[in-house]
Amino acid sequence: MEEQTPMENKTPPESTAPESSPQEKPSAARSKLLVGAALAIALVIGLYYMNRYWIAPAVRAQSKGDGSHPAAPAFSLTDITGQPLKLSDFHGKVVVLDFWATWCGPCRIEIPGFIVLQKRYGTQGFAMIGISMDDSPEPVVDFYKELQMNYPVAVGNGRMGELYGGIPGLPTTFLIGRDGRIYAKHVGATDPAVFESEIKQLLAGSPESEDKTFHQAGPIFEEDKVELGDPAVIDSEVPGVDLTKLTADQKEAFKKKLENQHCTCGCNRNLLDCRLNDRSCSISKKLAKDQLEAFLNGKGTGSVSPPAPPPTSKDKGTDDATPPATPPSK
Amino acid sequence: MELQTAKKRDLGKMRMPLGVLVLTLMAASLGWAQSNIPVVEAHAVMATDAMHADSMVKLAVLAQVAAGYHINDHMPSLDYLIPTKFEVEPSGQFTVKSVVYPKGTLKKFPFSDVPLSVYEGKVVVGMVLQAGKTMPAGTYTLKAKFAYQACNDHACLGPTSVPVALTIKVVPHNVPLKAVETDVFQRIKFE
Repeated sequence: MEEQTPMENKTPPESTAPESSPQEKPSAARSKLLVGAALAIALVIGLYYMNRYWIAPAVRAQSKGDGSHPAAPAFSLTDITGQPLKLSDFHGKVVVLDFWATWCGPCRIEIPGFIVLQKRYGTQGFAMIGISMDDSPEPVVDFYKELQMNYPVAVGNGRMGELYGGIPGLPTTFLIGRDGRIYAKHVGATDPAVFESEIKQLLAGSPESEDKTFHQAGPIFEEDKVELGDPAVIDSEVPGVDLTKLTADQKEAFKKKLENQHCTCGCNRNLLDCRLNDRSCSISKKLAKDQLEAFLNGKGTGSVSPPAPPPTSKDKGTDDATPPATPPSK
Repeated sequence: MELQTAKKRDLGKMRMPLGVLVLTLMAASLGWAQSNIPVVEAHAVMATDAMHADSMVKLAVLAQVAAGYHINDHMPSLDYLIPTKFEVEPSGQFTVKSVVYPKGTLKKFPFSDVPLSVYEGKVVVGMVLQAGKTMPAGTYTLKAKFAYQACNDHACLGPTSVPVALTIKVVPHNVPLKAVETDVFQRIKFE
């Protein structure tokens, strides 16, 4: 006689299905799914509280009513209709300053909402301003007409973007209060209700004093932190690199050093030319900063360092022993 | 307000589990914070270990788009989108005969009413290059760039490009050529 285990005794034969039977597979899969879902929910709750009590407050502290709202950098442009567009002309108004581009889908979807906001609050001390980061005004003019945009739009430039802390992603939108301070920044397509809530708060503010009770609406992400560019660095002789620690002679030596370095971003320029011609190039910016650090650390501060030797063909990624397919870049 | 933008639509329409959604959004957010890191990395490979003068060779550009991002199809589905392009600097010794782009994937995004044709993940672009008639043997480097404009679900980065060096070894006609990277080239639909 076969020995039966207690377990086998307790389970009626007709209800016992083999492990691989089709009846048990769905229930096992369902159990795994439920466990997975429970874990996911627990994770979501954990992440929510981590964000609410740890991450978000840290970001809020940077941009909320602690007297730290920075003044919006001034700009003076000509809009696409030929009219002057100066931020100073809007002092006393609440401004939504939108950096966008016609080739950017998330930017385009926001525009109808901005048109509505301009209609709704334009008579109450609110003004929309669009700064297109397109290379040329033609597509901007076409889009402006197509959507019947009801607020001024100008084509911006790299320097202006840098003054506003750099605009790596579009859309990037700033909320400026009646007092000319930046109260909020939103990177990425944002719900119009978020802007509306912030506009309402700022319309109740004063042109004379900072609104210390302002609360940014909607979710706050790390990239929404307001960090403006330093004009001394932006307008440096090597754009984006702080040369204030260098003497006049050292600046010249450092620039010569950059002239003798090849930029690896694919621009076919030397480092200095790349910085001067493409301020947005993050590769040349990092290389130039590294060069400055080496210049300051390695060469001291009291003497002028000699310029680096001209780059060899190896520096340019070309095999020394073989003929180049293209002439060396300038 | 009657209008809704990306973030709101995203949450309303997606069918994926909430946990996955949150993780995706967090990953996108983290990726965004690291936007100085190039979104696309690319390099090129040849179909043979070398080539002969006065002959043609197939090349493939292998580009990897960072997770969470997409770049536009070479033939974008909307006229305002900036197409992905592979461009080789003109050279007196080599001629580009053709460039073959992959077909994009149609994908719906929160910021568009219609699906967009995009590249995500690994992108393989094929190219046929003709060597000059009287080229001496040696290794040649052609400069090229993979130009793209990337977005994630709620924002876009500016148009940019990644440099790609095409290193081509030309050998005498009596040296046999060996096929390499066959699995890559089998997947490219050269005309």
